[in-house]
Amino acid sequence: MTFPTALFRVLAGALATGVVGWALARFVTEGFSRQEKAAWSVAIGLLVQPVLFLACISVSRSSRPAPLLVLDIALVAASIAVRRPGRSFEAGASPSSRKLRAGIAGLLVLAAAAWLVFFVSAIAEPMWATDYLAMWGLKGKTIFETGFVPRRLFQDPALSWGRPDHPLLVPLSLAMLASLSGGWNDQALALLFPVCELATLLAVWGFLARRVSPLAGAASAALVSLCFPLYRAVDAGMAEIPLALGLVLASCAFLDVLGTGSRSAATRLFAASLLAAWTKPEGTLFLLLLAGVLFLERRLRPVETWKSGGWALVVPPILHASLMLLFARPIPPRDFDPTFLEPRRWSELASRVATVLSRIFETGVLPVWVPVLAIGLFFLFTRRGLADLLLPILVLQVLGYVAAFSISSFDPVWKVDSCFQRITATLFPAFALVLGARMAMGGTSSSRGKDPSPAAT
Amino acid sequence: MTSEGRALSVVRRGVAAVLLLVVAGSMAKTVALDEVARRWRLLRRAFAGEKVPGGETTGFWFDPSYARFLDEVRRRTPKDATIALVVPSWPDVYVYQAAYQLAPRRVVQAGRENEAGFVAAYGYQGTPNASVMPIPGGALFRR
Repeated sequence: MTFPTALFRVLAGALATGVVGWALARFVTEGFSRQEKAAWSVAIGLLVQPVLFLACISVSRSSRPAPLLVLDIALVAASIAVRRPGRSFEAGASPSSRKLRAGIAGLLVLAAAAWLVFFVSAIAEPMWATDYLAMWGLKGKTIFETGFVPRRLFQDPALSWGRPDHPLLVPLSLAMLASLSGGWNDQALALLFPVCELATLLAVWGFLARRVSPLAGAASAALVSLCFPLYRAVDAGMAEIPLALGLVLASCAFLDVLGTGSRSAATRLFAASLLAAWTKPEGTLFLLLLAGVLFLERRLRPVETWKSGGWALVVPPILHASLMLLFARPIPPRDFDPTFLEPRRWSELASRVATVLSRIFETGVLPVWVPVLAIGLFFLFTRRGLADLLLPILVLQVLGYVAAFSISSFDPVWKVDSCFQRITATLFPAFALVLGARMAMGGTSSSRGKDPSPAAT
Repeated sequence: MTSEGRALSVVRRGVAAVLLLVVAGSMAKTVALDEVARRWRLLRRAFAGEKVPGGETTGFWFDPSYARFLDEVRRRTPKDATIALVVPSWPDVYVYQAAYQLAPRRVVQAGRENEAGFVAAYGYQGTPNASVMPIPGGALFRR
């Protein structure tokens, strides 16, 4: 199969995934703009299709696309038959001034151009990042080629470096797309990652346009598209890009839950939480921090926290851990040494924390002091925004990385050098929501703080 | 809002926009344009139907000839085989590339030959015999 044919087939598979996602997302995104609907359709599709694929291969022990396509058609048909959602409407008011409209269009053109740069970078050659080879790609290719999920992916000591404890959503997504496209082409499959970036941009744009202003949405989307430390060739094939989508959608749904408490917002939060928790362990950390903030917001009342959306944050990580324990029983991860937490090693731990912090300052802060200072000044010059609540979560997430590096079984300096920049860049799209929400200028939304869904209660 | 207040608000917004431009510019600066151009050329070759040899791709930056060795191992072993791999210990991507390229075959490291049906030795230059198949870049032993 030539590359253009393979790419076309993967694109068709991605479109099918989006349509399946739309079939479910339409029930929880009524009244949203097209961009938000598209983002949620991609996200829910990326969640549902791998599960359907897993169900198909569990029964047929083969990666043939026919059973999956049959399920897809049945799901879409059922969705259309079950209920016809009300007519959608654009939630955000359109900008009145011509200058503003031109500015927004300019920002969106910039975002599209930056996205194209990543698109070209990602699909120019077969994926090659070390983590792709050792983890995501290896697992996906093995599942696709064997037509089932071999236990050795979790229990073979020869594969202990392949992170057997990590979630399978990205490998299953790759295997599912390979199945739909009729073969494992690791250059064409890289299309998954620009698609995830596109969904992230649409989510940021749509959410801020709805809750803040169209200008804020376009500006933040442009900012996210320029996050080349995340959207670069080496990250095609890595779980960080789908994770960034999960974190953005979880943040948007979380803010909607706080603003409205609606059932559809809580359902969206559940879907985004599944995406985040089933993509990478960092997603679980983020969700637990969101749950912690919700607990504080609800004045430490556990029942109220649970009822007001806490369930949507806590159930997905528990579900993932239970499924892994029941079906996979992975060999214990070798990355962390918990004995550093024992009192006898506290002095050693303190020295490692100091080493990690100093290395992060040296390699992760000093070289980027100009944008860091600009962000600091931006906070001084702007007023509080509706997404400021995400700030402590993002800071705690980074501190979580510091803690993880400090109890690493490996040299902590090597850990900082090998992944700090990448995993921190994953947080930038969610951080752009904070920045965008502080740009409450230009056309304001009539629906600020409200979920436009008629199902909102 | 008074006209003074409005002016102050405009200044604050202007400064905020400039600060975001600084952030955007700093991130955009990290793009290596010559690398994007190189990748654009690679993509055009792929669209033209050209199959770029594995050794020319970034994935084999550490040893371009290793790609051909793995191709041969893949061609000569069944999908359900277990292969013991004898490769340089550094960089570790020797092992990861083998595990990925040879999947779904099971790859084990040197020292676990007793679990394997084949031993793939990269850089081996011994005498061929009934159980040793010389392949480009090394040899494949049937056990």
